[in-house]
Amino acid sequence: MSLDESLQIYIMESRDLLEQMEEALLTLEQNPQDEEKINAIFRAAHTIKGSAGLFGLDFIISFTHVAESVLHKVRNGEITIDESLVALLLEVGDFIGKLIDHVAESKTPDADTQAVSDALISRLNVYLSAESDMVPAAEHAATEVAAMTTVDEAESIERVETDCWHVSLRFGVNTFRSGMDPFSFIRYMKTIGTIAHLETMQQGFPALEEMDAESCYLGFEISYQTDADKLAIESIFDFVRDDCEIHILPPHSKISHYIDLIEKLSNEDLKLGEILVKCGTLTPNELESSLQQQATQQAMDKEPIGQTLVNQHMVQPDVVNAALEKQKQVKETKNSESNFIRIDANKLDELINLVGELIIAGAGATLVANKTANSEMTEATSTISTLVEQVRDSALALRMVQIGSTFSRFNRVVRDVSKELGKEIRLEISGEETELDKTVVEKISDPLTHLVRNSMDHGIESAEARLAKGKSAYGTLKLNAFHDSGSIVIEVSDDGAGLNRDKILAKAIEKGLVSAEQSLSDGDIYNLIFEAGFSTADAVSNLSGRGVGMDVVRRNIQALRGTINIQSQPGLGTTMRIRLPLTLAIIDGFLVNVAESAYVIPLDMVVECIELSTADYEASISDQRDFINLRGEVLPYLKLRDEFECKGAPPARQNIVVLQYAEQKIGLVVDKLIGEFQTVIKPLGKMFEHVKGIGGFTILGSGSVALVLDVPRMMQLANIGKNKEQEVVGVN
Amino acid sequence: MENELMMASILKGKTAGSSILTQQYLTFNLGHEVFAINILNIKEIIEYGNVTEVPKMPGFIRGVINLRGAVVPVIDMAARFDKPTAEITRKTCIVIIEVAHEDSTQVVGVMVDAVNEVLDIEAGEIEPSPNFGANIHADFIEGMGKIAGKFVIILNVNKVLSVGEIAELAGSSQTVIDA
Repeated sequence: MSLDESLQIYIMESRDLLEQMEEALLTLEQNPQDEEKINAIFRAAHTIKGSAGLFGLDFIISFTHVAESVLHKVRNGEITIDESLVALLLEVGDFIGKLIDHVAESKTPDADTQAVSDALISRLNVYLSAESDMVPAAEHAATEVAAMTTVDEAESIERVETDCWHVSLRFGVNTFRSGMDPFSFIRYMKTIGTIAHLETMQQGFPALEEMDAESCYLGFEISYQTDADKLAIESIFDFVRDDCEIHILPPHSKISHYIDLIEKLSNEDLKLGEILVKCGTLTPNELESSLQQQATQQAMDKEPIGQTLVNQHMVQPDVVNAALEKQKQVKETKNSESNFIRIDANKLDELINLVGELIIAGAGATLVANKTANSEMTEATSTISTLVEQVRDSALALRMVQIGSTFSRFNRVVRDVSKELGKEIRLEISGEETELDKTVVEKISDPLTHLVRNSMDHGIESAEARLAKGKSAYGTLKLNAFHDSGSIVIEVSDDGAGLNRDKILAKAIEKGLVSAEQSLSDGDIYNLIFEAGFSTADAVSNLSGRGVGMDVVRRNIQALRGTINIQSQPGLGTTMRIRLPLTLAIIDGFLVNVAESAYVIPLDMVVECIELSTADYEASISDQRDFINLRGEVLPYLKLRDEFECKGAPPARQNIVVLQYAEQKIGLVVDKLIGEFQTVIKPLGKMFEHVKGIGGFTILGSGSVALVLDVPRMMQLANIGKNKEQEVVGVN
Repeated sequence: MENELMMASILKGKTAGSSILTQQYLTFNLGHEVFAINILNIKEIIEYGNVTEVPKMPGFIRGVINLRGAVVPVIDMAARFDKPTAEITRKTCIVIIEVAHEDSTQVVGVMVDAVNEVLDIEAGEIEPSPNFGANIHADFIEGMGKIAGKFVIILNVNKVLSVGEIAELAGSSQTVIDA
């Protein structure tokens, strides 16, 4: 791994850590006693600082160091966490994020950054100097430590005298080739502790003529004085851990551990013992006793060291068992960690594209096979199609991510905005495990933020107003997600005042969006707020004051082939429901023919197919009655021939495909039903981006191009048409 | 070597006249008229067929074809110049052209009545386009190439096939229909 790649990993990991830190901070704000979270925050800051040292990112180190000192005191109970400290630490987190961005763009911090940094550091320093007020807490911590020591002593195992850590390093042969410099690690060690003694191990060096100048034969035995914990010391060597031998022994380790170490590096054994003495890690007596023990142990046919210790009545068997259990647990967590691989998103996209091509090619092969009427051939191709279908599903599943991480980001948004507005608002999240395509997740974040801010700003009333209405003083904002017939539904709901139907209608009439005679359902009226130019600064009071209009939100959602609608009850709250397709690339389609062209309808939306009776068709021609009686239900329909202005007369028998989307049912009149078809959606491209009612292209097995219908958009167009008709009816 | 020089001249600037080198042009027929396109813009020439119509498009967009897995729009060049569309014959071809759009390139098919030949035209043999009299929009013309004493209109494909303009026209034809 080159240093450049390592830096990329560092940037990625630091961003993850910052996210974790933010999450932990937000939890802490609610529950300041949560020690686990405090530790998590400390670890995050520490790791960021620690790894920054490897890359010489001094600015990050010096800034994070101050934050870490404060966190250290928090962890030791010297400072109690309160709201203002959480707020400060959140800012610190944001700022570290900014510094990481600088690193990513390989910029050096400018004067502005420096100024922010100084301001934050001086605010952090307030906490550092205020420690004396916290003596009782510190004392408490001290007693705890003391208590722990007693317990340790109670185990009464021979321990070495030194209070230094012992770090044993053997760098891998390829260290230089991977672009690492062993000395940068040593240098970095100095920044978090003092090196009491360092011995360079020369045993690894081959004879001069066999030596390869590019190989690394270095090894070090270091006696190291530091306050850092083992994890922190280990993390110094994160980037070389894979090909280096690293052993870290804490201060006052059991002699057995040293025996272990000496055994592991046994090709150097005696010498190593001496070196340990030289380092001051072991006293000569300790070495002697350990070597004796080693000898005894060898005599005992190399029994496991745990066993040796038990045999010597040094450790109780259950202590060993506990230790073994612990080791197993650690291993298990490690295993579950390694179940995940980070993959470049582009590689996944490439795979999906290839699967898309495979599906098209497969469809072509099936078509040819069917023509040959060779049953073996047909069977083979059908097996292949089944497999291809499975490959498609698993390839698409790779891109699926849970929406939870997007949702949890809103904890911060809600916190900040509610502070800003002076309202108390609680966020409730559900359905975080709902999965959707990664590209969709990325693109939905902005519109969601907009809706959330909007709900908090205009939906939820002030505490006084709420109390006056007999509601709880705090408002509740809910984010929910679930799957529903091939799409994912994301809801943003609040328990605020609800939309004011009359005001919206009045505004829309004033703006000329609708005419006063039009009869509109409540839903239609609420949806008017998504019209471009509807919301301006002087618009309805509970919708105003935003930089961007709701029309941008709707456009973003439509770009994802999704829809949004609003439900609102005056005084009780508003629910915005976003409905999005699960994936953007490959769908199960239903193929139909109109005139000469083939069209694909997303299969998830197809409910049933029925024949359009001659009587109904004649009624639609003579009376313009574009609806039928579907088992007692009124089913309005669109004639695709008319919609797409196809030439020529319709065939004698036409069919209706009944579609359901977002609680609305409509029929589409087509010439011919063909059947199910695996559809790889190709984007419309620049030239056709304004086409309405068509969502993309796909390639049929025959090699010709079919058009994918954009059902949500068609329904919308149909609804506009319906309103116009209502006007006509009104006049009549 | 020749290619390298050619590339160098492209990098310097593609506009005719600025290069001292001879460039190659494909000539083709639209009705009775002959036009030329710099071959550097051309990817390939295929037989006309299997065009899927896209509903509610202006007349000069014939539809789309499948070009080895990619969906490529097909423009009727004659209709683009407001000339009557000729019948489809055995000689009708689709010339696949790469057009620059913003920072990327877009592949577009152009339907022509027949392709003729590839000709070398020296830079010195290319005259600037007349402001009027050519019967098509002056912006569409890159220059007038002299071939055997006759003038052939060399088209500026980035203007004729301007993706932005076509998308706009396609969009506006939609609104007209909706209204």
